[in-house]
Amino acid sequence: MKVIEVENLSKTFRVKQKEKGMKGSIQAIFRPQTTQVRAVDKVSFKVDEGEVLAFIGPNGAGKSTTIKMLTGILYPDGGSVKVLGIDPVKKRRQLAYQIGTVFGQKEQLWTHLTPYDNFKFFGAIYDLSDLETERRIRELTDTFALSEFINTPVRNLSLGQRIRCEIAASLIHRPKVLFLDEPTIGLDPVVKENIRSLIKRMNQEFNTTIFLTSHDIGDIEKLCRRVIIVNSGRIVLDDSMAHLQFADASLEDVIMKIYSNGSA
Amino acid sequence: MRIMRKYAVVYRSVLMENLQYIGNIALGFVGYFILIFVFMNLWGYMYGEPGTRIAGYTKEQMIWYVMVTEMIWFGARTGAIVNQVTTDIRGGNIAYLMNKPYHYTLYILARHTGEWCIRLPMYALLAVAMGLTMVGRIPGFGIPALLSSATSVVLGVTINGVFKICISLMSFWIEDARPFQWLYDKLILIVGTLFPIEIFPAVVRPFFKLTPIYTVCYGPAKLVVDFHMEQYSEILLRQFLYLAVGIGLMFFIYGKGVKRLYVNGG
Repeated sequence: MKVIEVENLSKTFRVKQKEKGMKGSIQAIFRPQTTQVRAVDKVSFKVDEGEVLAFIGPNGAGKSTTIKMLTGILYPDGGSVKVLGIDPVKKRRQLAYQIGTVFGQKEQLWTHLTPYDNFKFFGAIYDLSDLETERRIRELTDTFALSEFINTPVRNLSLGQRIRCEIAASLIHRPKVLFLDEPTIGLDPVVKENIRSLIKRMNQEFNTTIFLTSHDIGDIEKLCRRVIIVNSGRIVLDDSMAHLQFADASLEDVIMKIYSNGSA
Repeated sequence: MRIMRKYAVVYRSVLMENLQYIGNIALGFVGYFILIFVFMNLWGYMYGEPGTRIAGYTKEQMIWYVMVTEMIWFGARTGAIVNQVTTDIRGGNIAYLMNKPYHYTLYILARHTGEWCIRLPMYALLAVAMGLTMVGRIPGFGIPALLSSATSVVLGVTINGVFKICISLMSFWIEDARPFQWLYDKLILIVGTLFPIEIFPAVVRPFFKLTPIYTVCYGPAKLVVDFHMEQYSEILLRQFLYLAVGIGLMFFIYGKGVKRLYVNGG
């Protein structure tokens, strides 16, 4: 079963331009200038249920824009998106009940509250009963080994502990698809490994579809069965990890070559 | 009911968070105390002889009026409506808040309520303490006036929140909505807060009655200093109308604006 279906998805941004110096600032008031940036350009792909997919590319390639369109945050200019059969543009809130998101560079937890209070909060947001929320908190506490700091305010946690809590919070409502945008950014190698094994376990135990973006080759190698590489808003490679690993060069070399050439 | 539960949880979480900052809120008492002290002396000088009335208000009523409106002003000045929406839109953080199964604007309104539910009672206690020790009781103020004005204050603070959110949502189109916030704040402060509407010329009063000034500050404070059942009904009706229109406007602006969202870094 396909859980994500993307067809000719496109998004263009208008970016303000300004000449340098004071003269440019004044000119920009009376004659504002903008340029169009094609962030995502006719991207098409499908993702199977339970698949772990790496969606990677250099900075500015259009990865985050694509994720934001898949989750209904941004409106596409063209093409179509279906996630779990739902159009994110038309039914963003309905889709939100079935997906989870973790953005490594953004906090979704309330920093002054404890992870326990945060989980209770997210349980209520996703319309879980108190009983169900408590059951989920116990499960996630075991799975993610959170018991030591479940009652410590989030602001006092280490980055690794916080990311574990972020992922746990995004799973409170048992999402069918989890979007992870650079979940291991800024983490030390030991914590990274820990997070990877948790993601793997989650995929195996709950058959959660994982849509991952990361600049970390380790994340991709250890987690994903398929890789999509985007550059300048276009898909330049869509292949299985097994096939890529049979190539003569290492995965890192293959990716570097594609990043610098712009195509496979 | 289930829909409201999630906003009640947002409210409760903000309440829990803000209980840690009671000391910080209390620091704002200094500003309130100085302002009221200045106005007490100013009105004391203006009134001169005992028994004088200005615009229909006795000196005690006038000072209590300023104390109540300032209480609303200080108590309803929450981070959720002052900065958060503009900062969320400009900084792109809104992207991470709107992909949850709640309506962003109601989420902000619940946050606002969670914040003022701590701030406002604290300022109310200070206002009552200052009023009773420095001005004296308000003649004719009893339980009906207390209950009616409390309802009206709650509605006023909510209307203020809704309109401030509407202004902040303009950040979807313009670089910074804060100058408009500033204009709105100053209008409320000068026209509705420091002086009652009756002070102004008769020709502009009907206009003021159509603005949020009447429903946010003037109405609730008027009920405290000079309670009449007929006036209560009129103020309440206007407040409900204002709230309905304000919420409709808030949803409309958000619905239009969110389609224009551009998030940095993607």
